Amino acid sequence: MSLLSSVRRRRTAAVAGLSAAALVALSACSSSSASAPPIDGGGAGGHLSAYNKIITAGPVASDSEINANAWAKKIKQQGYLKVGGTDSGPLFSLRDLKSGELTGFDAGLSQMLAHYITGKTDVKALTKLTITSVDTRETMLQNNTVDAVFATYSITPERAQKVDFAGPYYQSGDSIMVKKGNTSITSVKDLNGKTVATESNSTAALAVHKLAPKAHVLLFKDDAQCVAAVQQGRADAYVLDQGILLGDALSNPAVQVVGGDPFTVDPYGIGLNKQSGAKPFVNAFLKKIFASGDWAKLYKATIGTVVKGKAPTPPKIGSVPGS
Amino acid sequence: MHLIVTHFGFLMQGVLFTLGLTVIGFVGALVLGTVLAVCRVGPITPLRVIGSAYVEFFRNIPLLSLLVLFIFGLPDAGVTIPLFASAAICLALSASAFTCEAMRGGINSVSVGQAEAARAIGFSFVEVLRFVVLPQAFRAMVQPLVNVFIGVLLSSALAAAVGVAELTNRTQQLNLKYAEAVVCFLFAGAVYLVIALAGGTVGSRLERWLAIKR
Repeated sequence: MSLLSSVRRRRTAAVAGLSAAALVALSACSSSSASAPPIDGGGAGGHLSAYNKIITAGPVASDSEINANAWAKKIKQQGYLKVGGTDSGPLFSLRDLKSGELTGFDAGLSQMLAHYITGKTDVKALTKLTITSVDTRETMLQNNTVDAVFATYSITPERAQKVDFAGPYYQSGDSIMVKKGNTSITSVKDLNGKTVATESNSTAALAVHKLAPKAHVLLFKDDAQCVAAVQQGRADAYVLDQGILLGDALSNPAVQVVGGDPFTVDPYGIGLNKQSGAKPFVNAFLKKIFASGDWAKLYKATIGTVVKGKAPTPPKIGSVPGS
Repeated sequence: MHLIVTHFGFLMQGVLFTLGLTVIGFVGALVLGTVLAVCRVGPITPLRVIGSAYVEFFRNIPLLSLLVLFIFGLPDAGVTIPLFASAAICLALSASAFTCEAMRGGINSVSVGQAEAARAIGFSFVEVLRFVVLPQAFRAMVQPLVNVFIGVLLSSALAAAVGVAELTNRTQQLNLKYAEAVVCFLFAGAVYLVIALAGGTVGSRLERWLAIKR
């Protein structure tokens, strides 16, 4: 057989068949994996109408309050709030794949704020979400792609140079997740010399660098990957916000959260454009829902489903550097 | 800029990781791609079918999916490969499909008469390739292979998503702390650009050198 004829001959059908078989084999292997991420984060997914009621029971601003603030006036005219955030954050902001509804503590606050300004009651239409990442948040606020960012956005002095922060509206902190039965890690100091996974878009990496400088930090893109890394032994521990870790541990019996209080204090704020003048308005809104108990109700319906005990006392507005 | 200067060492380590991934991935792709290309142009039907199936599979599966399957799927099957090695292997697997096609294109560009003449004077299949076809085919492969090199370099950034501390990953870490996305990513972009341009220059030199020799 000459080189020519062998080069030109085609066996397309055989090729297609073989690669299809390979694909099926691969996908079958991945779907049997025990570390598949949970579709609903064990959060507020199932109680939509109750959740929606909490949002629409929130306060509505008076016309004079709206007219006194150019930012709020603009939102009222546009009829909805352009929110920057995520749709894959269990407990904080998670989209239900079936209904398309966005629920969670951050999502709920953004909907409450939109309801506060527009007075509309169709929760789904109150906000329009643009997915933002750590790499894009400040820029998208500065160029007004979004009106506000609700994204477990930790207030830091560096970030406060770029954007305004309303709040803090929630004080959280980082905890440690380990494989079930691991007793060698009981505090943050034990992370020295260990491999620690965390999300690449979380300030947890900074906390680990500071408190356990000898830890080897692995940055993964999302929560499910970090959990899988711990479960499969790639990482000894996973450090992130306690609420999120508790949610993970609830849906995945192969891992556990190290007991005790979180080892950091992480104040979350609402990111706003510095030029917009929105900060006092949003702070006034936060004070109202703190006082009315709407904040606590939202907490109970979201984070409170995995963190035991009563809703905490809301943090004091403007109490941290950068807010 | 101050930020880049202060953390220059940290970033340069990331550049080393990126270069390591690129070089290992590309060299692996060259070796594997050559074997595949020989399979695909060879006279043995089962090898041709395997070569074609491999190319169609790895050319069409997104590299990120491959990485996630490799890194989070294999441990469930009892095989845990370190992150850096996993990323390098995935890059090589994926790029070898493109390398194979670049080489096959080069081989097909050599006129048929050449191979027929070589066969006529009694060269075996391997000798036809080794002494007649490949030396001429290589010139036509240079630019497509430069494309593959640049593809590997840019795809190596995907390893950032699965925990390899290469340039993009370290850029994200810095941005996390200092909230300077534009500066950080401009720097990373410039580094990728410089490496890619260097690869392109080597390719052009090689092409010119081969042309003179002919």
